[in-house]
Amino acid sequence: MTHILDTLPLTRLPAPGSYGRTGAPGVTVALREDVAAATLVARRGAGVRLADVVQARFGLTLSDGPRMAGDDALAVLGTGPGRWLTLAQTRPGLAAELASTLDGLAAVTDQSDANILFEINGPRVLDLLAKGATIDLDPEVFRPGDVAVTAIAHVGVTLWRPGEEIAYRALVARSFAPAFARFLIAGGAEYGIGWSRRG
Amino acid sequence: MRIPCPYCGARDAHEFAYLGDATVTRPDPAAPDAEDTFFDYVYLRDNPAGPHSEWWYHASGCRQWVRVARDTRTHAILGTELARKPAGDAA
Ligand SMILES: [Zn+2]
Repeated sequence: MTHILDTLPLTRLPAPGSYGRTGAPGVTVALREDVAAATLVARRGAGVRLADVVQARFGLTLSDGPRMAGDDALAVLGTGPGRWLTLAQTRPGLAAELASTLDGLAAVTDQSDANILFEINGPRVLDLLAKGATIDLDPEVFRPGDVAVTAIAHVGVTLWRPGEEIAYRALVARSFAPAFARFLIAGGAEYGIGWSRRG
Repeated sequence: MRIPCPYCGARDAHEFAYLGDATVTRPDPAAPDAEDTFFDYVYLRDNPAGPHSEWWYHASGCRQWVRVARDTRTHAILGTELARKPAGDAA
């Protein structure tokens, strides 16, 4: 059923298509490479002013915990104390814009080419993620807007739930993305996977 | 074993790297008795049966050092705290 993994080079991402069980897919995966990303690290003692400026300039509240604010256009995710990941689908100059706006308040590092974003949806998405995650993803526990920097199938991911829907985003380091893709296909074959790429 | 990270919440121990005893302090290498104090520091460690204070690094999570109070007999976690306050103060 997962013959694709017998022939797919370990370093390559799978081509768009359907994998595993036929019929309506239980899980859909979309890879996005058109998302700009940058990390923010608050400079010592500048946290309050940083939060004020981000609020005033971008209308986003920096969470002091693992939570997200914003939407696909511009989102900011808590990844550690005084650390956030910003993502934007419509701002290719995200890092430069943040660096000039937040000069002296935060260290800004462009991560746009560092990661690949997986959008993981479908009625069986939790059954699939349960095979690789060690955190509790029960929808009553991992709530809309929650973020987790964790490992899935031993691959480091930043995982979040953008909204009420039982659907997730996972940001994976580019060089680990083929391994994460293999986990999704091997684990999701029994549910059927619809695989696509965007951007 | 699950460790409640102060930032991330309860996480599997596999996400952490273990450093060890959080009750000892690295001696001054310039002190005249450095050889003796380093011998004690490196080799003569206590091995308590019961509550112990340890450093764990949350390598697969928030990438922070966490001080963990763990009962070495039961692996019960009695408390955790970040090794340092965030640089971003009250952000
Ligand atoms: Zn953590």
